[in-house]
This record gives sequence, C-alpha cells and structure tokens, in this order.
Amino acid sequence: MTAQGRDPAEAAGLLARLADLVVAMDVEGVRREAEACLAAGLSPTRVISEGLSAGMRSVGEKFKAGEVYMPEVLVSCDVYYKGLEAVRPHIVPSDGSVSRGKMILGTIHGDIHTVGKDVAVPVFQAAGYDVVDLGVDVSDDAFVDAIQRHRPDVVGLGTYMTSTFMHAGATVETIRRAGLRERVRIICGGPAVDPAAARRMGADDASDDAWEAVGKIGRLVECLRAGAGRRAS
Amino acid sequence: MSKVVDEWMGRLKGKLKPVGEMTHWERMAAAFELKPTDMVPVAPELDYWQITYAGYTHPEIYNDVDKTTDACIRTWADLRTDAIWMYVDISHQIEHFIPAEKRPEHFIHRGPNDYLLFKPIAKTLDEAIALYEERTFEKYGPGSRPATHYTPHMLQLLEFQEKMDRVVPIIVGIGTPSNFAETIVEVQKFVRWTITEPKAKLKHYLDLALGERLEALDFYAEHARKNGCEFVCLFGGARTWGPKQLEEFGYADKAFVDKAVKIFPHVFWHICGHNLPQAMEALTRWDGIQAVQYDMPYYSQKLSWPEWFESVARLFAGKRCAMNAPTTQLACHGTAAEVKAMVRQFIECTLPHTTAVIMPGCEIDSFSPLENVKAMIDTAREHRS
Ligand code: B12
Ligand SMILES: [Zn+2]
Repeated sequence: MTAQGRDPAEAAGLLARLADLVVAMDVEGVRREAEACLAAGLSPTRVISEGLSAGMRSVGEKFKAGEVYMPEVLVSCDVYYKGLEAVRPHIVPSDGSVSRGKMILGTIHGDIHTVGKDVAVPVFQAAGYDVVDLGVDVSDDAFVDAIQRHRPDVVGLGTYMTSTFMHAGATVETIRRAGLRERVRIICGGPAVDPAAARRMGADDASDDAWEAVGKIGRLVECLRAGAGRRAS
Repeated sequence: MSKVVDEWMGRLKGKLKPVGEMTHWERMAAAFELKPTDMVPVAPELDYWQITYAGYTHPEIYNDVDKTTDACIRTWADLRTDAIWMYVDISHQIEHFIPAEKRPEHFIHRGPNDYLLFKPIAKTLDEAIALYEERTFEKYGPGSRPATHYTPHMLQLLEFQEKMDRVVPIIVGIGTPSNFAETIVEVQKFVRWTITEPKAKLKHYLDLALGERLEALDFYAEHARKNGCEFVCLFGGARTWGPKQLEEFGYADKAFVDKAVKIFPHVFWHICGHNLPQAMEALTRWDGIQAVQYDMPYYSQKLSWPEWFESVARLFAGKRCAMNAPTTQLACHGTAAEVKAMVRQFIECTLPHTTAVIMPGCEIDSFSPLENVKAMIDTAREHRS
C-alpha cells in the first residue's frame, strides 16, 4: 500500500522528516528521504511542496528569528536543489502540479552580487513559482530574449547596488521597446532597492526581502491576470 | 613631487577659510580618541561619487592617476569634509593576482557612473590555495594596478596631506584577510565552504590570505605610514558570516588588526551590510580599533533606526567612535530633508554615549544628488560634540 493510501500521519511524518533535512543541510539524507517519499507513493508535487519547500520556508523563519544565518541558508538552498533533482524526473504532466506563475530572474548587467539571487530563487520556487534563473550580469537584451522564450508572468531584476538599481529604468525601457512590457510585471530586488523609485523607473515593485517579496509577486501575478495586460498603477 | 598636487597647493595653501575652531585633522583625531570636538566630523566615503562630481567619468580616470587625485582634492576643496578618502576600486585590490593578458576579462566597465565589475579569480578552493602557494601576487605584482595606480594615487594624496600641513587627513583603505579570501573566490562560495569544506583546509586557505595581508602591511608601513599616513580604514569581509564562522575563522582578521594598529595611530573598521551583533561586539574587543563605520541592523533585529543607533552607541560607549548616517540608499533615493533628519537622529542617539562621525555605512553611490551630500555635511556642522 502507498503512503497516500496509508496512514496520513505516516505520510506527514515522511514529509516532515524531508523538510527537517533541508533545515539540517543534509545533502545525502535529502536525496535518500526524497526517494523514500516517492517509493512510499507520495506524489512528486507533495514531496516538493510539503517536504522540500516546507523545509525552505522554515529555513526562512529560522533566519528571520536569528536561529540560522546566511551560510546555513545558502547551504540549505543547495540541499533543496539536490532534493528537487531527485524528485523532478518523476513529475508527470498529469500529476496535478500547479504553478502559481512563471518568473524569470537575473542579476542586472553591471552587478555581480549573487548571494541574494541564490537565496531568492529557491524561496520563490518553494512558494510555488516556476522560476528560470538567468544568472548574473544579465544584459537588457538577454532579459528581452528570455521573456520571448519563457513567457513569464513576472520578471525579477536582481539589483544589489544603488547604481545598478538605477539602471532598472533602462532595462524596463528595453523591454517596453521590444513590445513586451504589457505582458509582464517587473519587480526589483536587493538591499539597495526602493519601491517608489522602482515605480518611477517604470517597474512595478521592489523588495529587499525574498520572503516578503513572495506576497508582492503574488499580487503582481493576480494583477496581471486580472488586468489582462494592463499595467498596475 | 607631483604636478597635480603642486597645482592644488598653489590654489589652496594659505587661502582656505577655517571650518570651525579645530582643523579637520584635529576634529577627526579627537572623535577617534573619544574626546570633545567643536563639530561632529563628517567624512563620507566618496569613492566613485567624487569622480562624477569633479566632472570625470570612471573610464576616464581608470588609467589616469592624476585625474583620480585631482577629483579627490577638487571635491574636498569644494565641500570641505573632514577627511579625504583615497579612491579605491576592486582592480586596485586584486589585479596582482591575475596575469596581464587575462586582466581585461576580469574587469568590465558598465557605464560612466558605474562601479567596476569584476569576475572572481579562482573557482575552487584548490585553485585559490594554489594562487597563494604559488605566490602569484608576487609574480604578477609589478605592472599591476596596485603598483601602477593605487600606490601612486595614495602617495600623491599623502603628499598633499603633508604639504597642507596636515589640515585634513587622508584615509587609506586596506582590505582584510577575510575580504581577500572571499573576493578571490566570490563570497557565496567561501561562505558555503565554511560549512561544506573540511575546516582545516579552509583555515589553510585563510592562513595563506592572512600571510599575504601581513606582508602587505609591511608595504603600507614603508610606503603609507612613512609618508605621513595615520588614518586607515580596514575593509572587513565576513559580512555574510554567522556567529559560528566568526568564532572559527575570525582569528585571521584579528591577527591582521593586531599588526595594523601597531603601525597606524588611527584605525577604523568598515562593516557594511546587515551587521551581525556578534561581529559588532567583536569589534569592541579587538584592541586598537578606534572607530567603526557600521551600517544596518541584522535581519533578525527588529529595531527602528533610533533604537539601532542607540544600541550601537551604548555598545561603543568608552570604547569606540561610531560612524554612520545617512544610509547609502537614503543618500541616493531620499530627499535632502530626509538625509538631514537621519543624520540628526544618528547624532542625537549617539552623542550621549560616545563620539560620532557622519558617513554612510558604505560608499556614497555616484548617482546620489549633490544636495543630499551637502545636507549631510551641513547637518553635521550644526552639532558640537
Ligand atoms: C557580500 C557583499 C559583496 C560581495 C558579493 C559577493 C557575491 N558574489 O554576491 C562582494 C565583496 C564581491 C561585493 C562587491 C561589491 N559590493 Co557589495 N555587498 C555585499 C553585502 C555585504 C552583502 C550582500 C549579500 O549577500 N547579502 C545577503 C543577501 C541574501 O541579501 P540580499 O542581496 O539583499 O538579497 C535578499 C533580498 O534583497 C531578496 N532578493 C535578492 N534578489 C532578489 C531579486 C528579486 C527580483 C526580489 C524580488 C528579491 C530579491 O532576497 C534575498 C533574501 O531576502 C552587501 C550589503 C547588504 N546590505 O546586503 C553589500 C552591498 C550590496 N555592496 C555594495 C557595494 C558598493 C559593492 C562594491 C561596488 C564594492 C566595491 N567598491 O568594489 C562591489 C560591487 C562590484 C560589482 N560591480 O558588482 C553596496 C551597494 C551600495 C549601494 N547602495 O549601491 C552594499 C549594499 C553595501 C552597502 N551597505 O552599501 N559585495
Ligand atoms: Zn562597504
């Protein structure tokens, strides 16, 4: 009998153990436990959302509470990815997995800060978004290409310094000139961002906290879908 | 003897109106020594901003030492801050680790007002260790920008300091072992390795970085201190470490401080970002540091700005001079009134406990409006300490 059909407490136990391993930064353990969850018949979607992603959420809570620090967060992110690697091949389209939206995210040209992006991407994935990581030092044209290729709802601009944040306007303008501005919502992230300044530059929002940004991204996606192309004011 | 300095001497020597009762130098030294000052000193790290202010672009000054020095002195002559920070960019710090033909790929200019972008030098811990063990920095040193740009610029400014009879101090910036160990491989890698790599191996790497930095201090003793340098900013790395990392790997920066404070009379530490409380405490224990340029409260500390300023001032009471305000972000995106308010808040929360120097926690961004920089300076000038 599968864990789905078996005792729900047992399934919950398996998933909780998997989440704990993300927090404990246990690479080997995560792979083994993720496979054990699948072998017990839990769906890949549940393994991701209630196991791995739940682990990432609790890493965020512990980080904010000062129980773990940036090095642990980064290694937990890596462990989360190792878990995803084990589970992804088992996902079948009929699995019922629903993405809350698609996002592309990259560090804007001229900026090499990556720690923030390395944390933000798995946090957004764990929150249910399908995120394409474009990497660092991404040119404006590369953002345009990625919008055409991946058709995201949201474009995340990693802008970790004031000077690169101030270039968000140029990136938005390039996206607008390519005729793609109405198709997407744009959010800036990094320690030096300012939501009002981001809007002045033509983006839709900004956040210096990935966990807070999850809410903002949700609102942007809703807005995009409701407005059928019209930009949020 | 340099022409650019002599030109400025002709324009400035004997012609400057005093600002307050103390000289800029006396004001900075007194604040560092926790003594009263006629006004709260103001010494923002102007780096790239002053290049733009002086009418140059970064690509333009990149290969021109005289223009770099000219920008620093010109900005000071207009604004009369209490110190002149020498201009430092990342190529000044790491180019001597890179062979000449590879340098162009490592440094990229984005635009006229932008920071220099750099690519890491080593990808793995083994590669990074080899860089040091093979003493690449020695091999590639001559002809690299630390020798051809950083040092001549520093010497020009120190010449200006001395010829101006030490009315204003030059601040020389020096990277610490943690800063170098991280920059060479990229911070995010180093930080992960503190958990994933064998401790002894990472310590070996850090020891090599420490060794190079201690040798660098001999160079600074010979070329900076002997030419009059007294004020030094130690640029700390380790800004994304947790308490465990600090405990296990903080020894390298501590050993570096021990040597630096024996060479220079006025040493301060630069800790930008979200400041780990344990790191702030360590900086009050590491003997000889006189002041700390700090930044934002740690993520888990739910503090308002006044609460944060006051908590640091209490921690520093009788031990360290506190340097902050406004934030780099506010200096760029805020209004002059907001800048003024934040500087006032910082001064009011700090002075009951210790001395203060006005400067953002990191360099002023080159897009920051002039009126904001002026608002910061004017507000400092209103306060006696
Ligand atoms: C570590 C660090 C470095 C490392 C970067 C290593 C790396 N590979 O990433 C090194 C030493 C190389 C470095 C270099 C420089 N740095 Co630096 N650096 C930092 C520091 C201390 C921490 C950054 C960090 O990793 N934070 C931890 C992460 C997790 O936080 P985060 O980036 O904010 O990300 C969070 C959120 O913003 C959000 N998020 C992240 N991405 C995204 C994306 C989207 C779309 C969304 C919605 C949210 C989001 O999620 C994350 C979790 O909550 C910051 C200070 C700070 N306050 O953060 C300065 C800081 C970013 N650096 C700064 C500067 C100036 C520089 C240099 C120019 C220094 C110099 N003179 O050479 C160079 C830049 C070179 C270049 N061209 O890029 C300044 C920028 C100042 C400004 N306002 O412009 C800062 C802010 C320091 C300061 N207080 O002034 N730096
Ligand atoms: Zn800094």
